[in-house]
Amino acid sequence: MRKNLFILLGLLVATISLANGQFEKAMGKTIPEIFKAETPDALQSAINQLNRIGEAEADRWEPYYYVAFGYIRMSDMYESGTDKDKYLDLALEAVDKGDQINPNDSELTALRGYVHMMRLVVDPATRGMKYSGMAFNSFQTAVQQNSENPRAHYLLGRMQYGTAQFMGNGDGGACESLNRAKELFENEQPESPIAPQWGKETNEKTIAMICNKEGE
Amino acid sequence: MRTIIYYSFLLLSLSLVGQRIITGKVVEKSGDPLMGVNVYLKGTYDGATTDIEGNFSFTTYEKDSLILIASFIGFHEAAIPLSSDQSSTEVTLREKISELNAVVITAGAFHASEEGKREVLKPLDIVTTAGATADVPGALNTLPGTQTVGETGRLFVRGGDGRETKTFIDGMLVHNEYSPSAPNTPSRSRFSPFMFKGMSFSTGGYSAEYGQALSSALILQSKDLAENNRTDISIMSVGADVSTTRAFENSSFAGKLQYTNLTPYFELAPQNLNWDKAPEEVNGNFAYRMKTSKTGMLKVYSNLSKSSMDLFESDIANPEVDKPVSVANDYAHFNLSYRELLSKKWGLKTGASYTRSNDYASLDSDSRDQNLIGFHGKVVADYQHSDRIAFLGGAELIEREVDQVLSDESGSFNQDFNERISASFLEAEWFASSSFGFKGGIRAEHNNLTETQTFAPRLSAAYKTGALSQVSIAYGEFYQAPQDQIILSQPAAAPEKAKHFIANYQWLGEGQSFRIEAYNKQYDQLVRYNQIFDPFTYRFNGDGHARGVDLFWRDTKTFKNTDYWVSYSYLDTERTFRDFPGSFTPSFASSHNFSVVVKKFIDEIKSQVGLTYSFASPRTYHDPNTEQYLSGRTPSYHDLSFNISYLYSSQVIVHAMVNNVLGINNIYGYEFADAPDVNGVYASRAITPAARRFIFLGVFITLSKNKGINQLPNL
Repeated sequence: MRKNLFILLGLLVATISLANGQFEKAMGKTIPEIFKAETPDALQSAINQLNRIGEAEADRWEPYYYVAFGYIRMSDMYESGTDKDKYLDLALEAVDKGDQINPNDSELTALRGYVHMMRLVVDPATRGMKYSGMAFNSFQTAVQQNSENPRAHYLLGRMQYGTAQFMGNGDGGACESLNRAKELFENEQPESPIAPQWGKETNEKTIAMICNKEGE
Repeated sequence: MRTIIYYSFLLLSLSLVGQRIITGKVVEKSGDPLMGVNVYLKGTYDGATTDIEGNFSFTTYEKDSLILIASFIGFHEAAIPLSSDQSSTEVTLREKISELNAVVITAGAFHASEEGKREVLKPLDIVTTAGATADVPGALNTLPGTQTVGETGRLFVRGGDGRETKTFIDGMLVHNEYSPSAPNTPSRSRFSPFMFKGMSFSTGGYSAEYGQALSSALILQSKDLAENNRTDISIMSVGADVSTTRAFENSSFAGKLQYTNLTPYFELAPQNLNWDKAPEEVNGNFAYRMKTSKTGMLKVYSNLSKSSMDLFESDIANPEVDKPVSVANDYAHFNLSYRELLSKKWGLKTGASYTRSNDYASLDSDSRDQNLIGFHGKVVADYQHSDRIAFLGGAELIEREVDQVLSDESGSFNQDFNERISASFLEAEWFASSSFGFKGGIRAEHNNLTETQTFAPRLSAAYKTGALSQVSIAYGEFYQAPQDQIILSQPAAAPEKAKHFIANYQWLGEGQSFRIEAYNKQYDQLVRYNQIFDPFTYRFNGDGHARGVDLFWRDTKTFKNTDYWVSYSYLDTERTFRDFPGSFTPSFASSHNFSVVVKKFIDEIKSQVGLTYSFASPRTYHDPNTEQYLSGRTPSYHDLSFNISYLYSSQVIVHAMVNNVLGINNIYGYEFADAPDVNGVYASRAITPAARRFIFLGVFITLSKNKGINQLPNL
């Protein structure tokens, strides 16, 4: 009887960890699809899976983080401003959902800034004013919320560079931010396998593209 | 050991026995399959995305009765109960009607907003138009439906007089929206275009929410919370201004102080007018915004200004005699508005505005001193029944106290009135589908002076003819109290009336747009008189018509970094009103108006350059030396304006602008002496711009921690 009880208890623990493991497993399987998907269909399918996980796990913000990231990528796959705006609206909606579960999170705030930045790109002349302010504010807030978040520094650097380019002068402090991001990326130890950890390579590419020229 | 096997088996069987495949198809109402739909069992990870045929299939271990959810962007989510043995189902999704896909009623209206998802124009486009001198009406004059009346600077819409266009800020009526100007020189709007995030310029058929405008409503939405602290300094050839914006947690403050003095400019650039004291103005703008909740916003705005000018005007009959002319104005406008969502379905907008304006004008020993106190209070509620049906209703009170003192050598004469217009309106909007929308409304107004009650219906409908094109039609009746001078002489003067019929086709492609609109406007109950100061000659049986076609084409795509638009308006109008002895084309109307606006950003010189060409066909004028009334015709009007904004650094911009580059001698009309000379001839004088060209230079500096901000969007 005691043995039975022991087995039953073991089974219970197993089921619980299975349930937890199920979340990490499902996320672990879907996250790479968000980054790898080459077509809107494949991306939508991965986003749908994340939305299902998010719906079922009311206290997890990560699914919405990646949904937002997926929609940002999606907006980039379309040419027309109307389509881009449609997906950026959905990205922002996902950031908001994540924000409700996990308020004042540096990763979500940085992603919010990313949405604003993409919004600006749709029509810089008209939107520059409004969205550059919103993007800068988000990135700066993200850095305040966690100064060790490499993505916040990386995105801030991109925004600084883009603005300086638009105005036609220097790098606007971009390289300083990108190099700080590089340092942080190299020492980054994700809290969990599903925590945001993208950006290291693109950051290095961006540095190679814009910062090394200055030394020449 | 046996128990372990037993439990393992239990686990295994649990997973095998419970497995179920769920398949099905998702279609829209028309039966067409939907691809990309997220189909899943509520509360689980189990689900799939539909393929190109709308089919889905997935495996689940859940065995109880479950709820299948089908969710897709732009459609209402469907929840379908599945019994424990059911494994296949078909789901029909109903389209959600949203701002993004719904047809928009565009008859009569030009919308502009910063977001600009489906707009023909943006506020910034309006502001950077060459020749507009950053004046909102100046820029709107490059749109179809407007007639160039260069000597006033106001908006004359579709055969309507300038006073038939009314301006609203955040729903509140603005009295005396133009700064005063010398006789026959253009006035400017008091309101700087950079205050607004959106505007809707309606050339007819507008919503029942707006009244007291026979021809047109200019509806401006002021900006929301500011995001960044900034300070701007502008040094211009006509003056200087400094403005500051402070952003707080849930509120922001913006203030601007402007000083304009044209003396130095007039010293350098000779003017036709003989100035004693060039126009001088001090203007202060203050705006405070507060987010009162997640959905609530309180806006307070005020504009205070003081201006004056003195000049000499020669007598038409005796050009060597100079008469002194003085113009002065004191102005204060306060505007408060509040909006909040009461629930998901109910919304509330409310506001109040107060205007106090004193206008003084004198010519020789004659003078006119007019005081206006205006109040406007308004409450609007909207109810969103579903994504297809919505209602809007409200009430407002528009009160004006006007008093005027006319003086001459013989003494002074005082007139005044206190007009109170109370109005209520109700409007319903119905979408049969995302491609067919209908709006119907009624506006009831009561005027205390005339003790009259008017009911004005407004109807419009729009139909999407394709993904990018649509047609819309509108009908409306509009009432407006006669001009102030008439009411001062006869307070019981009945309101004038106009009926609009409008049909519009619009095509909105990526980076290109095209509009054509035909209209027919009928005027009725217009005031006629022999002498405006003699109420005994007033008759209220004037009428008239204005019909025409407006064309608009815009293209931002074909030429790199280049944006251009072309407008053309054809107008056929005649009226019997004022002191007209019959039906004639008024002198403010021209049959053909054409304009081209081009803007280009040139990377090499970090500059935006703009060119605007405007043409207006001849206007009528009355020559008392001829028998026939209004038989004179001015020459055509031409203007080519140029502007350039040079980005010296990210926060310093240099701006230059020249109007009438070609130096064409435009004549707006002719003035005649009051009495004939000894030979029985009325002496005449052409009404022309005060100078052939107007040149403007300015340096705009922005101080902000955010390096991305400069004044470029304001120029």
